[in-house]
Amino acid sequence: MEFLGQDRREGLGRKANSRFVLFLLIVVSVLLLLSSLYSAQASVFKKAREGVIDAASPVLELFSGPIAYFNDVTGSVSDYFNILEQNKALRQENAELRQWMDEALDLREVVAAYRGLQTYEAPPEAQPIDAYVIGEANDAFARSMIVNAGRTRNVESGQAVVDEKGLVGRIVDTGAHASRVLLLTDIQSRVPVYIEGADIEGILVGKTRDDPTISFTESSAPIELIPGQRVLTSGAGGVMPRGLPVGVVEGMVRDDIIVDLYTNYVRTRMVRIINYEFPAINADAADEPADSVDEPSPAEG
Amino acid sequence: MGYRAENLFRLFKAAAPTLLGLFGVIILALPVRFFEGVVPTPIIPLVIVFFWSIYGPSYLPALSVFLIGLLQDLLTGGPLGLYAGVYLVTQFVVMSQRSYFLGREQKVVWLGFSLVAVGASVILWLVMSLMSGVLLSPAALLLQMLATVMIYPVFGIVFGELHRRVLVEV
Repeated sequence: MEFLGQDRREGLGRKANSRFVLFLLIVVSVLLLLSSLYSAQASVFKKAREGVIDAASPVLELFSGPIAYFNDVTGSVSDYFNILEQNKALRQENAELRQWMDEALDLREVVAAYRGLQTYEAPPEAQPIDAYVIGEANDAFARSMIVNAGRTRNVESGQAVVDEKGLVGRIVDTGAHASRVLLLTDIQSRVPVYIEGADIEGILVGKTRDDPTISFTESSAPIELIPGQRVLTSGAGGVMPRGLPVGVVEGMVRDDIIVDLYTNYVRTRMVRIINYEFPAINADAADEPADSVDEPSPAEG
Repeated sequence: MGYRAENLFRLFKAAAPTLLGLFGVIILALPVRFFEGVVPTPIIPLVIVFFWSIYGPSYLPALSVFLIGLLQDLLTGGPLGLYAGVYLVTQFVVMSQRSYFLGREQKVVWLGFSLVAVGASVILWLVMSLMSGVLLSPAALLLQMLATVMIYPVFGIVFGELHRRVLVEV
């Protein structure tokens, strides 16, 4: 190690590292930190984030393919040890799902009959945007993912993101070709939800641990919960559509209802961004709902 | 090697630690979920800042450290200036102890790095708790720092070889 520690000054490192610049930059960092405390959504910072996501997305996309392969290889090692149990569980689940499929097919006929009625007016349909997860914050506190769809594909801030199991999060930053998804577990995440069958509306709050909680509930009466009840988005606030599956009630700790999410972030690879416009109900905008109702019908037919 | 090629190579050598740091940030922003996400991704930029602050501060100027940290904040979506500040403070602390670390055994340097990791964790946890208004669970951060400390010897050897054989001309 005799050469370690010898300074050869050349090129970029021509000058010795100056203490003054170091101090100056520490001060700049602290100022940035303080200013982002007061204006986290300041347009300059937001623009910078979106620009960086956009610029980095080709690099992330390049590496995310091989990374996914290695994730699969390392992930499946544990699968080898409980493959029999998994097989058994899957058979059972498959049998149950077949029954559900029969029921769903019956219901489809009933719904089709109702739709045939003259008085039926179709609600606006959500326009799904499919995307791959190309980035993920490997950070202890910030929980977010980067997906490869942006403004050019009509992605906007606030839109809900789901995977094959349930709600993943919502869009917070949108670049031209990539966007950031704030996960439900992030400390900043707030999503309006309701508990099926319990008549409880609340806000799902991220806790950085694996399970977020419903902290605020509308009903003042004592809450009676059965673990296993479904938690769905309530659509309050008019951003996410109502009824997206989020998870199941796991239990209660003091006033917080712990929610076991359907989605497993470790396996989230393909997501669907839901571009949903709420039907306008105010009378003065009478033209707009007519448009939004008409629009989806060509896509249907 | 022609004059021009030699110059390019020199530039590359001078910029290598900075580029490595930026690459470390990219790794932190990729969906790395080895072993189903049980093993957290090590914070390689912290290793890089620590290593070159001891063995070649002139190869990693404060501006590079700032840019590495800022890129990480922008990409991972954390508050701006957090990792930039942590890396700069790391560089400051390590540079002030430089004369102690130089020429020491790698075991001692490793111990020094683990102390630095603990210090960085405390700053990160305090700032994030202050910003979110609740005391956050430090478990995930401690696990990530543990992973970072565990991989230090490997990166210490690799960076040592790189620094000695390639960056510093004999």
